[in-house]
Amino acid sequence: MADKLEQLSEKLVAGQIEDVQRLTKESLDEGMAADDVLQKGLFAGMDVVAQRFKNCEMFIPEVLRSAKAMQGAMDTLRPELTQAEADKAATVVMVTVEGDLHDIGKNLAGMMMEGSGFKVINMGIDKKPQEIVDAVKEHKPQILGMSALLTTTMPKMGETINALKEAGIRDQVKIMIGGAPVTEDFCDEIGADCYAPNAAIGVEKANALVSG
Amino acid sequence: MKINQSIQTTPNFQVLSEDQIERIYFSALDVIETTGARFYHEEALELFKNSDAVITDENLVRVPTSLVERALQSHPNKITLMGRNGKRTVKLQKDEVAFGTGSDLPFTYDRETGERRRTCYQDVANAGKVIDHSENLDFMMSHGIVQDVPNPQTYDRHQFKAMVENCTKPFVITSVDGEGLQDQHKMACIIRGGEEEFKLNPMFVVYIEPISPLMNDRSAVEKLLYCAEHGIPCMYTPCPSSGATAPASLAGMLVQSLAETMMASVLTYLKNPGMPLIMGGVTTVLDMLTTTYSYGSPELSLASAANTDISKWLGLLMFSTGGCTDSKSLDEQAAIEASTSLYYAFLSGANLIHDVGYLDSGVNASLDSLVMCNEIIGMVKQIGKGICTEDDYLAWQLIDEVGPGGEYLTHDHTFQHWNEWFMPKLQDRSDYDTWVREGQKTMDIRIKEETNRILEEHKPEPLDDKVLEQINQVIDDAEKRHSK
Repeated sequence: MADKLEQLSEKLVAGQIEDVQRLTKESLDEGMAADDVLQKGLFAGMDVVAQRFKNCEMFIPEVLRSAKAMQGAMDTLRPELTQAEADKAATVVMVTVEGDLHDIGKNLAGMMMEGSGFKVINMGIDKKPQEIVDAVKEHKPQILGMSALLTTTMPKMGETINALKEAGIRDQVKIMIGGAPVTEDFCDEIGADCYAPNAAIGVEKANALVSG
Repeated sequence: MKINQSIQTTPNFQVLSEDQIERIYFSALDVIETTGARFYHEEALELFKNSDAVITDENLVRVPTSLVERALQSHPNKITLMGRNGKRTVKLQKDEVAFGTGSDLPFTYDRETGERRRTCYQDVANAGKVIDHSENLDFMMSHGIVQDVPNPQTYDRHQFKAMVENCTKPFVITSVDGEGLQDQHKMACIIRGGEEEFKLNPMFVVYIEPISPLMNDRSAVEKLLYCAEHGIPCMYTPCPSSGATAPASLAGMLVQSLAETMMASVLTYLKNPGMPLIMGGVTTVLDMLTTTYSYGSPELSLASAANTDISKWLGLLMFSTGGCTDSKSLDEQAAIEASTSLYYAFLSGANLIHDVGYLDSGVNASLDSLVMCNEIIGMVKQIGKGICTEDDYLAWQLIDEVGPGGEYLTHDHTFQHWNEWFMPKLQDRSDYDTWVREGQKTMDIRIKEETNRILEEHKPEPLDDKVLEQINQVIDDAEKRHSK
């Protein structure tokens, strides 16, 4: 049994999408608990991926390949998880703020969070503060991730935070911001909870936010 | 179905047109017929005397074009070098490029104290290690000159040992004289398993230079004749300084250099036709403020690339120059000059590009420079890969599939192609915060750390004990002969 989970981890690290899918199914068919498959197989593998990426031994396309394999396995696993187990995964709403059509960095961060076990809701680009407030109300995420690439659209992040305050829900969600012109100082200035200079650190900080 | 397609798989770079090359070549023949060159060696003069050449004024040799052209035809236009690792890695043939160090630098900065001191055995051994480890350095010249041995007349045997113990790749060697060359050839044949094997799979090319303008001293000729006799590949590589020992016009410098090389072709042809001859030349300017022979001038790159054009037209191989600098330290000047010369030498299609790692105009050795240039060469080679325009590369189907506003990051096509790119090892592409968190390391610091890591961790494949014993014997014998 343990062998199979180890194999699952290895295939996940190697980004073998079909093998991961197959091994996940086989594990469940053999009567293994879904939560064990998730924790000891998939998460164990993604931990290795994160470590290797940090050590410059894996690169973005490879990490995303593993993340894709992870997502495929999750689709199989999700119906088998108990409500309590499924609820363990934190939800992140990701969005590019109003006036900005750039989204590759935000999408990358979202994909990597998904790979790390988060449930990610990607709102897309050019979203007004009110639309973001509505999404937070609807999805009740633990984390809201906002992105802007332009110095001209950066202030919209602050406006969105103000809109959340006015709606009385600012305290219900942690806010992470990112984008090339964004800095730690700016994060403090607008009252966000944390700033991630790149996608990998975004995942790290997201984990810290939900566990802290 | 496509028809009438031509594909340029690599960039294409040329300095001289065929007409220009011919003008330089005919002028060089004129020099050989009218001016001639001096040879300070009796056997050489004897060989010329018994040929169509004309000797006047005791040792001034002029040669008719008919003999020069016969000699030029006699050299092979392909040589494949094999290091002691048994791999035929350096293919010397038209438009195949290999990179390596230069030789015999008298000084280095001590890695511990930073003090400028004379280079020693361990410095050459360390250079061997770094070259052995560096994926973009294909051959080794000694980098430093061994000065901590008993006798300056036999240092070259020790230098060879320092090289061969630490670097498994092919060499370009220097030697004190014909006898030093003979001993190093002996050592290489021990490794290779005999002289005939060495001929099929040469472990080194011999570096020999005339004295510009148009002078050939005793030791250079001794080495040339030894190489001709034993079929050892060698380069006869002039080091003219434009404006001082060659005309200030680059074309004139090329004419003179070619005349010098062709005289060596004739001499070795008369001795024993067929010696693998490599053209060369560190063709640069004398700096007219400092009188420095410049290793960082753009004229060096331009003249060397032109010289490579000439070599290809003649069907000869080319020894060129890159990765060197006039700067006293590994600073911005060093990086600018090394990058420029490496880039143009590569584009020109020269076969052996040497002097990677030279600081201070060919005076100071720098392992850090080797490590930096390894990265530069990686970038330069990437440009040499050119652009593929096959359907999968044009990717119009993919573009359609992804569509406006889509992303390519998670697509199989990206997964399949991204690792065709150059991946920097030392260049920093991180974001500002990450860079600060990781200690704000600038390039010079990262280079030093990488050099230290290589010296600490890289273990070259050891030399067989019995072979080492025989090599030591050759060295001991040389010491005995010279202590008398």
